[in-house]
Amino acid sequence: MAIKRGPASRIRPAVLSALALMLLLAACGKSSVALTAQGGTGASSPPAATEPVLIGVTGPLTGDNAEYGKQWRKGFDLALEEINGDGGIDGRPLEYVFEDTQSDPKQTPAVAQKFVANPKIVAVIGDFSSPASMAASPIYQRSGLVQLGITNSHPEFTSTGDYIWSNTSNQKDDAPYLAQLAVSRLGKKRLAVLYLNTDWGKTTVDLFIGKAKELGAEIVAQEAYLSNEKDFRPILTKALDAKPDALILISYYNDGALIAQQRQSVGFDETVTVVGIGSIYSPQFIRLGGEAAEGVYTSTRFYPGDPRPEVRSFVEKYREKYGEDPDTFAAVAYDGIKILARVMREYGTERKAIRDGLEAVRDLDTVLYGKASFGPDRRLENPHFVNLIVQNGKFELWQP
Amino acid sequence: MSLLSVRNVHKHFGGLHALRGVSLDLEEGETVAIIGPNGAGKTTLFNLISCEDSPDEGEIWLDGRRIDGLPPHLAAARGLARTFQNGRVFGNLTVLENVLLGAHTRLRGLTDPGTRPAGAVFSALREIVLGIVQPRRFRELEAELTAEALEILSIFGDRLIPRFHQPAYSLSYANRRRTELARALALRPRVLLLDEPTAGMNPTETDEMTEVILKLQRQGQSMLLIEHKLEMVMAVAHRVVALDAGEVLVSGPPEQVRSDPRLIEAYVGKTADTAPAGAAAAGGTRFGASAALTAEV
Amino acid sequence: MLDQWINGLVIGNLYMLTAIGITQIYGVAGVVNFAHGSIYMFGAYIGWMAITWWGWPLLPAITLVLAGSALLGLLLERVAVRPFARQGSTILLLTTIAAGLILDNAAQVIWGPQTQALRNPLPHWHFRLGNSTVTLLDLFILACGVGTALLLHLFLYRSRAGWAVRATAQDREAALQMGIDAGRVSRLSFALAGAFAGLSGLLVGLYFSNIYPMMGASATLKGTTAALLGGLGNVPGAILGAYVLGIVEAFSVEWLGASYRNLVAVVLLIAVLLLKPRGLLAPRRALNPEPTAGTFIPHGRPLRFPRWAAPAAAAAAFALPLALANPYPLQVLAIGWAFALMAVSLNLISGTTGQISLGHAGFVTLGAYASAIFTSRLDLPFAASLVISPVIAAAIGVLLCYPALRLRGQYLAIATLGLGEAISLIALNWDAVTLGPLGISNIRPPDFFGYELVSPAAQYLLALAILLAGVWIVHRLGRSHLGRALRAVREDEVAARAFGVGLSRYKSIAFGVSAFLAALAGVLLAHSYSYIAPDTFTFALSIQVLTMMILGGRDNIAGAVLGAVLLIALPESIRFLGEYRFILYGLLLIVMLRFRPYGLLNART
Repeated sequence: MAIKRGPASRIRPAVLSALALMLLLAACGKSSVALTAQGGTGASSPPAATEPVLIGVTGPLTGDNAEYGKQWRKGFDLALEEINGDGGIDGRPLEYVFEDTQSDPKQTPAVAQKFVANPKIVAVIGDFSSPASMAASPIYQRSGLVQLGITNSHPEFTSTGDYIWSNTSNQKDDAPYLAQLAVSRLGKKRLAVLYLNTDWGKTTVDLFIGKAKELGAEIVAQEAYLSNEKDFRPILTKALDAKPDALILISYYNDGALIAQQRQSVGFDETVTVVGIGSIYSPQFIRLGGEAAEGVYTSTRFYPGDPRPEVRSFVEKYREKYGEDPDTFAAVAYDGIKILARVMREYGTERKAIRDGLEAVRDLDTVLYGKASFGPDRRLENPHFVNLIVQNGKFELWQP
Repeated sequence: MSLLSVRNVHKHFGGLHALRGVSLDLEEGETVAIIGPNGAGKTTLFNLISCEDSPDEGEIWLDGRRIDGLPPHLAAARGLARTFQNGRVFGNLTVLENVLLGAHTRLRGLTDPGTRPAGAVFSALREIVLGIVQPRRFRELEAELTAEALEILSIFGDRLIPRFHQPAYSLSYANRRRTELARALALRPRVLLLDEPTAGMNPTETDEMTEVILKLQRQGQSMLLIEHKLEMVMAVAHRVVALDAGEVLVSGPPEQVRSDPRLIEAYVGKTADTAPAGAAAAGGTRFGASAALTAEV
Repeated sequence: MLDQWINGLVIGNLYMLTAIGITQIYGVAGVVNFAHGSIYMFGAYIGWMAITWWGWPLLPAITLVLAGSALLGLLLERVAVRPFARQGSTILLLTTIAAGLILDNAAQVIWGPQTQALRNPLPHWHFRLGNSTVTLLDLFILACGVGTALLLHLFLYRSRAGWAVRATAQDREAALQMGIDAGRVSRLSFALAGAFAGLSGLLVGLYFSNIYPMMGASATLKGTTAALLGGLGNVPGAILGAYVLGIVEAFSVEWLGASYRNLVAVVLLIAVLLLKPRGLLAPRRALNPEPTAGTFIPHGRPLRFPRWAAPAAAAAAFALPLALANPYPLQVLAIGWAFALMAVSLNLISGTTGQISLGHAGFVTLGAYASAIFTSRLDLPFAASLVISPVIAAAIGVLLCYPALRLRGQYLAIATLGLGEAISLIALNWDAVTLGPLGISNIRPPDFFGYELVSPAAQYLLALAILLAGVWIVHRLGRSHLGRALRAVREDEVAARAFGVGLSRYKSIAFGVSAFLAALAGVLLAHSYSYIAPDTFTFALSIQVLTMMILGGRDNIAGAVLGAVLLIALPESIRFLGEYRFILYGLLLIVMLRFRPYGLLNART
């Protein structure tokens, strides 16, 4: 298609680009127009009695971390069923809107602004990874919208301001407990530690090692690996050479399963016990690890066989709804919604009220922590742990 | 002291000894033609002179200074300009931009790289700043060069002037070669190297190019050219150097070289009996060359 | 250290499969196929369905995988390659990226994002070597790799069809004239490459006992590295390269630690590119062959706009915050401006100077970290950091790139890819300065003389102002003698340097200015995000910026800006599509390139 010369050829591209620009603005404006029609960004008229209370969620639905986003949704949906079956929030149904950010810090600030500008959204849960979450935190903080992080454990996460909260534990608690399991309970003295080279992995391993040494163990090997690593043979060979009696994994369930699987072909046998931090806990670990997962120990805050009533009820309903056992990601998502629901019921559904409520509320019934409250660092305190071992293709409670 | 002096250069390519002790001199204002069958080493010699490549042995001197071993862009700064066998214009640039690029080395003081790395960095920074700011004397220099470029293009009559804002890829083959020549002239070279300037041109175009080269000669341009078309060589060259298998076979005024039996043998073949058949089969791939030779023989 | 040797060979075994596939398609089609990893992944999934869902034994499953992947290769060729074959390899890079994106997201939609277990159906036979165990699967993989290499060799050198394939690879035009159906050759090549990719995917999936939708990415990277080590197009070289890579990686884990594994691989890659660019097995070459007359890639000419268009657009952009109360589009555009600056800066290297750079994220990372460190840890005021950080980042960037600048074409592209990764890995490992994986948090928002720019409107205007400054710089350079020199380098390096344009010097100038501007964008983003980590600016970012630039039109500043804004705004505006978002995005990209093959703002003649 030839472009004719002459004045017409000058106008057409100009028109084309003007059109493009208008389209673009319309697309963005569509949301803004729709939103501002409903009362603007500031004070709004009180919502109707049956209008839903909306929680915004940012997380990965596509991209590398999509499977965790999927697990989140299972937890959210289950929690909502319960809450809405129980009268919702003062008769209003509770709902969430999940915006896919691919856990990408390039997308989270935009979504944050979108949520901030929507007066119907009274609190936000998200994001998955620390860079993604923290890129958006300043926006939530400045605009006075609570951001509840459910899987980011970066030590600085809540420090951005008093609207930033988290119901994941500080590694302050998980890591030392694992050290106790490995050293005191299992009697291991020579530890080879493999850890994920992320902010989470690094803080956790430092805390673990501190406690383990305190308890009298020796760290014979300490190796960090990148999150997309699949081949662990060289690193396992190196660990084996140090003659450990325990292999400690600071991993997620995918990499944990791979490490467990590959250790035998490198020369590890049953004399070296494998102990993994709670994030390996997931039916996926067993599914992916197969026989190699047998005999692996872990300690978690959450275990389906836990007799506590809130856990029983969560696990039963989850099994009924999804046909499988829940993992930590689903559990923490479930907790997140339930925490917000309780705060909203007791303190109100305005943005500031929710923030104040999080500070004031005491003794939340959580699956992960039992009865817990937020500490001065805006994280939950008083976690509760159980020790587990994989036996016969399942996680079983382990008591020596 | 010759303007350009090639002294006993050798060049090897793996096992092939492409140039064996070739020497040649070019005086100011002279036009020297290099001829010889394909594979004789003509383009290799050109590449050494223009510093595309460096000799394994021997020296090359320009204006009393050694240039062998210099990188090509520094050789250009010393006043060497060339055209290429395949006609390498800058396709997406206009004719004018092609010619202006030829004058790049004349933005002196601006594009000098300096000798020490620190000097190179500062000069690069200065060039960037000048490119952004474009102070008045700089713009005036550009305007001068543009006027000059148009003047150079006028050497081709109205072949290129009406097209000076067209991208080079849209030109005919002959016009592209002319653009290439104009670009080389914009450098105001001490020595102009022309690699088969009329390759692929029809007789009319060849005659026009011959005229252009004669015009340049009258202006005092020193030139070295590779050519297969012997008529053209006769018309423009003061001296002819014949190469064969990497060696200088014979050298001297065109009349003398043309009828030298060694040259005929090199092109055509050993015995006189096979000469007519040889004329068609042997020699170069250039139809013109074989035809010209058979005409002579 | 027998065990590490074995480890190296075992993983090299895996790399070999993908390396052969990549090197073969490169040798034949001259294309680095970015969708290779996606077909690899689909092959794994097809095999997984056969083995796990339908209970098929291994060999029938493999047959199905070969057939299915070959078909996928043909589909790829039809949709993303054939319509664009005349536009040169840069557009093909982009269309294969788009195709890969579509396939990856389709897999997520079809099978879900979670990792799936894949049990090895072979008998559990194994033998011990030192501490290590070598299994039947390892030997099977070795046999497959060597087998396919042999079959490929036989095909290429002993059959007519193979001869046609080789001829077309050497010179497509000449092959056409000899009566070779180049279209059929192309289809055959992609089918073959697809089949190999799919097979590799399945075998690697079996080895690790799991598959997941994003498994193609790292496989492609490692496979390409191995292929390059052996020399692109050289199949025995790919085999050697794969094992060398595996062994080097195993020993770097042993001596330096697993975090350095990829960094060492990258350094090895760059070293090979600099010292033996045609690969470890290449014969020494005399001189680069002359390009045949008349071969060149058209860029298209920029569309002409009236002179008032640019200032009017700038004025409209500045006025936007007054018209729009909603912060969401302002936030989107603020990020869009930062990306526009990256695209404009990349355009200087790739569009104007013609050097493909796949590591642009590296410059952004350098700028972001420099400013984060200066303001957070050294307490410099933002205004000072805004000026100093890009300068330092550019200096480091140019220093790192300089040795690679004498590489041509795709070799430079790969070297830049390696450098981008290296910068990221150094940021990850150099704890003392960058805090490693923890990243730098609590970065202050931009402030001038005590006045903080925190509102979305303020950030929008700051980003816009910096973008316009960058655009002005690049525009002026483009119109100057410097622009002419850079374009000459793009058009014909040999001719350019014959006229005084020193290649290293001018490429450095292009890289230097570009790095400065990209680092400036990095500074903006660091202070906007308030937190950066080594994985904030990834290889994916480099590809996104390259996409924006090519979409807008090469050597077209307005095009780069438009491309950036579109590709940031587009995924935002189709959020409502949820999981299908990026499938549509990939399709739109291909459609846009189909109708505007020179880019949105470039046209023929």
